[in-house]
Formats: sequence, C-alpha cells, structure tokens
Amino acid sequence: MIWKTAWKNVWRNKVRSMVVIASVTIGIFGGIFAVAVMNGAIAQRVDAALNEEISHIHINDPAFRDNYDMQLIIADPEQVISTILETPGVAALTPRTMIAGMANTATKSTGVQIIGIAPEKEKEVLKLYDTTIPGTGDFFETESRYKLAYIGHELAKELNIIRYRIDQDVLDSLAVKNLPVELLDKLSAFSGTRFKSEKAFKKEMKGALSLKEQNAYGALIKEEAWSFRARSKMTLTFLDKEQIQTGAVFRITGVFDIKNSMYEMSQVLVKNEDMMGLTGMAPNEYHQLVVRLNDTELTEKTTTSLREKLPGLEIMNWKEIQPDLAMMTDMVQNFYAIFMVVILAALAFGIVNTMLMVVLERTKELGMLTAIGMNKKRVFRMIMLESVFLSMVGGVVGMIISKILIGLTSSTGINFASYAEGFEALGFAAHIYPEISTSFFITVTVLIILTGILSSIYPALKALKLDPAEALRTE
Amino acid sequence: MKVLEIKNVHKVYNSSEVKVHAVNGVSLDFDKGEFAAIVGPSGSGKTTLLNMIGGLDTPTEGEIMVDHTNLAGLKSSALIDFRMRNIGFVFQSYNLIPVLTAKENVEFIMSLQKWNKKDRDERTHELLKAVGLEERINSRPSKLSGGQQQRVAVARALASKPKFVLADEPTANLDSKSTETLLDIMEELNKEEGITFIFSTHDARVVKKARRVITVEDGKVISDERKN
Repeated sequence: MIWKTAWKNVWRNKVRSMVVIASVTIGIFGGIFAVAVMNGAIAQRVDAALNEEISHIHINDPAFRDNYDMQLIIADPEQVISTILETPGVAALTPRTMIAGMANTATKSTGVQIIGIAPEKEKEVLKLYDTTIPGTGDFFETESRYKLAYIGHELAKELNIIRYRIDQDVLDSLAVKNLPVELLDKLSAFSGTRFKSEKAFKKEMKGALSLKEQNAYGALIKEEAWSFRARSKMTLTFLDKEQIQTGAVFRITGVFDIKNSMYEMSQVLVKNEDMMGLTGMAPNEYHQLVVRLNDTELTEKTTTSLREKLPGLEIMNWKEIQPDLAMMTDMVQNFYAIFMVVILAALAFGIVNTMLMVVLERTKELGMLTAIGMNKKRVFRMIMLESVFLSMVGGVVGMIISKILIGLTSSTGINFASYAEGFEALGFAAHIYPEISTSFFITVTVLIILTGILSSIYPALKALKLDPAEALRTE
Repeated sequence: MKVLEIKNVHKVYNSSEVKVHAVNGVSLDFDKGEFAAIVGPSGSGKTTLLNMIGGLDTPTEGEIMVDHTNLAGLKSSALIDFRMRNIGFVFQSYNLIPVLTAKENVEFIMSLQKWNKKDRDERTHELLKAVGLEERINSRPSKLSGGQQQRVAVARALASKPKFVLADEPTANLDSKSTETLLDIMEELNKEEGITFIFSTHDARVVKKARRVITVEDGKVISDERKN
C-alpha cells in the first residue's frame, strides 16, 4: 500500500512533478548522449589506430625506439618470426624497416618516417590499403618500373601533389551538379587557376563567396576543384647504413586518408626491396615486426607470452605504444560515471526542493498518518519512494529517448564537418557514430535510484520531526 | 470490561510567560461498547484530553491505561504500533488520503498490519456497506461530499477493530442531514461491533445521541452523566 500511495502521490501535483521529471529527463538524455558521442569517437579512434596505424603489438630491438638507429635490426629474424607465429592468439605478422628522411617535391619538402614494407604481409596486419582515396591509385598493386611510395592525404597536400584548380572542366562539372549560375559566374573569375595550397584555395573561396554560399556549396566546390596527377613524383632522401646521404625518386602509387592528420603527414610507405637497395640493408634485415591478434582482448596475455619467449627484444602492445589510447579505453568509463554523478547531483537539488514542498504541504496529512499508526520507518519509506519514483520516471524517459537517438545516429553518424580539421589533427574522425553499452545504462539506473534516495533524506527527516498533535492542528 | 482508564491525569504547558494547566486531575473509566461525549467550551481541555487518550500527547502526571497497557510506558515506535492496533481516529476535517479511493483509504491500516488480501477486502466491503457507501467504493475523496468522506473516515477508524474510536468534532464541518446520517451509522456500528466511541464535541445533536456525557471545564471534569 505504501508503494501504491507513494506512486499516486507523485501525480498529486501533475505540473510540479512534470517539471521535475522533465529536468531529470533532459539531464539524463543529455548526459547519456554526450557519453555515447564520446564513446563512439573513442571507439572509432581506437579502431582506426588498431586497424590502420599501429595494430596490436610491435617488436624491435630494445634500444631501437630511443633514436631509431638504422643499425639496430632484429637479430635472427626468421627464428623470431617463427616463434611469434606459433604463439596462440597471433593472427598475422609483417616485417618493416624504418628510416627517418625527407620527402621533397619541386616546391616543398618535409620530414617523414619512411617505412619499408612487404605489401602483401602488410595487408594481413593493417587495413590502410582500404583507405586509398579513389582516383589516386592503389596499394602497390599495379606493377611499375619505378620505385613506388604510398603517402597520406595531408602529406600529399603539403607537397602540392594534391592541388586545387578551377578550370573549364571543373566549372562544367559544377554546372551539371546544379551549382547556381551566380556562383558559377563568381568562380569563372578563377578559371585557369591552380592554387598553391589548400590554404590558398580556401582563402580565395572565402573572399569570393558569402558565408551562406560557402556553407551550402563549399564542400562540393572543393571536391570538384581537388586534383591529383597519377604517378606524381617525389624524392625521398635519407642516410644509408654507412651514414651517407642517399635518395631516390619515387612515384606516388596511392594516397591514403585515415582522418588522422599527424599520421598522414609523417608516414611514407615504400617496398622493403626498394629500401634495401638504397640503404645497403640485407633482404632479411628488419627494424620492427608488427603483429595482429585474433582478438584485441588477448593483448595483455599475448604480450606477456611473447615477452617470456623473446626476452632479448622489446615487445610493446598498443596501450604502451599509444598510452593515450590506453587512457581513453581504460579510464574513460570512470570519467563517464563521474560525469553522470555531477549531472545527477545538480538535478538532486531540484528534487530535494520539490520534496521539501511536498512535506510542507502535507504536514496535516503526515500528522494524520502518524496518528492512525504509520510509524517513522514507513513515513520515511513513503517519502523516499516518492523521491525515487520521481527520479526514475524522468530517468527512464531520458534513457528511452537517448536509446532511440543513439540507435538512429549510430547508423547515420553525426557529421561534425565544420570541425573536421580540428578533429583530424587529434586523430579523430569528424563523422562520429555514437555508441553506448548496456552496462552503462545499468550504471545510470543505479545512480538515478541513489539520487532519489539521497534526495529524500533531508525532506524525510523533516517529516519525521513533525509532532502529530501539532501537525493535525495545521490549517 | 474496561477498555480505557484515565487516572488522575494532568497536562501542564510551560511557556516562557505563563503556565497553562490544560488538564487538571482528570480520572475517567470507559467500558467496552460505550457511546460517550466529552463536552465543554473552547479551551476547556477536551482536545488535549483526547490527544492524551489517543497517545498523541503525554500527560505531565497520571496514567492512561488502554486495555491494561500504560501508554506512557511505551516507546515511540511501540506507541505508534499500539495506536494502530487499538485506537481508531475520526478527525474534524476527515483527513482522508486524497490520492486513494474510499476502498484504499479504509484498507490502508489493514495493509499496514499485513492483513491478507481476502480478509482485507471482506472487511472493507463490510464497513463501506455499513456506512452506506458500497456504490462509491472506487471514488476518491474529491468526488465525495463532506458527509460521505466522514463516513469513509469512520469506516477507516473501525477497520482494524480497535478497542475504541476517538472522534474529535466529527460533525463540525457537516450539514444537519449528513450529521444525522453519520451519527446513526456510528450508533449502529457501536451496537453491532461493540466498539467504544468517545466524542469531543460542541454539537448538541451528538450530545443527544450519546449515552454518557462528560462535561469538562478548565481542565476538570465537572459532571459525568450516564443516560438510561
């Protein structure tokens, strides 16, 4: 009966209860959805890092990572590779050589890390090949008499290998795609222009187009103005095994885009056999072995196992290679809980206020209940239940709304295109797919119940202090 | 058989300025099945006396024994429990729980006492029938007239078969027709159930119905008449 009475009491003043419920709903929905977006962003970042950048485990000479000394190769690589492949949990392995160098074109140059790979083995471990920008080539698939290099989108832009131009072909293409005539007129003023850089292109467009026009058509214009010449040339220079500067001309076999500006700027992939000829390294000399596991959950176990088997080598898993990823995956759940606690603590004040009003308004009724035999424990329980019901209704509605919205956006994603540059600079994709675990909903449910209980304590104690005889005299 | 014994009970309120002797040496006994009214002018101590009988206030001096149990000897939670099982209350302003129906109001105490559903339903229907509200069993207090609400309050007071019912000015907010009906019902229930009714009242109609009239003035019993 107390449960029934408490539930009915919640709806005694519908407007007041609805205000509190709405505030809890909005708070819970906002909190859960924000967490889902953060979760999705982190999951995508980790996924991208493991599938496109670093995979699960790196193995190299213990001193190699200090200064990437070319001389520090893995001793007895065949035996090491065999040992690794026999370890349970290991799916695939790829060997790499790694050298610091410079990438140069006619107009620009920049420092890069040159990674010598075995393309077929590399494809078994990382899916970078899947991120090749259409129209820029492939991942070392086409035979060529030239030395080939696979580079990132940001590096291609930096070296002016990818450029922006407006010519008649671009204008015709934009007309077909229904760009308004007045905009075509504005752009025709640039006909025949090859812009020095993406920055220069953006600056000119900003000057020529209004903000509204930029927002509506900017992406389309940029897409059409983007140009890439297949098999563009680039020179890579570096020190060989004898510390003598050397280099060669490479043709771009493909350009990858992984929405991680830093990685795209710094990594150049070439074939191991090309590097060996230039550096003086032998065919089976490698600096690093990159390992893919069957399941990310096996990371700790497999790392430990490999360390036991290969004590003379440095074996690092992805959490150690990129501690920021480890922080994001391991600690972030705690931050989420704290985030929700802060939201609920703020909402609790509203609930406390409402329950205090409830106790004040029902002084006479509470006096009557005590008079007819409702003991303090029951009075406390009734008020606590009202508070919990109030919190739970708002919480459940908030959770349902967030579940629906997360369900919708988890397939369509949320496009933060306006902030793409910032996101990609940090290694995050600008198109985020929110996700949330069932365990988080359980955590939130428990927190909501706790909020209801804790919010009821002060009002309930006020109710218990009422003298029934005096309370009954209240008007 | 005595259900209530009041032995030389005093109640003194000590405010900062003046000492008020609200009840001044009252001694009364009540038998099972009595239908008694305590009358007196405002400030005579009727309500204070009733509150002490109901365990809502404690005497400064003296004893109140309900079914041979001294109320003063009971701790707070035990007193509330004792009240629930042995004393029924009917208040001037009905004091029904507004969110519950007539049925739920009546069965409230029985559910606190953990009666099983079958017995609860049976007793509820029996009482609401006795007070003439069987048709309004699922109505909330806001849908009932004042007289009907008070009848539900009477049914609630009798739900757990208490030793006696205390009714503090039960007819004060009712019209004459409702008053007549209510008093008839209470008299009938008094006879059928054998439960003692003790009224605190100004109402002459209650006094007329009562079979015992106790007059209180300045905290003292000045007369105690039993009618034949």
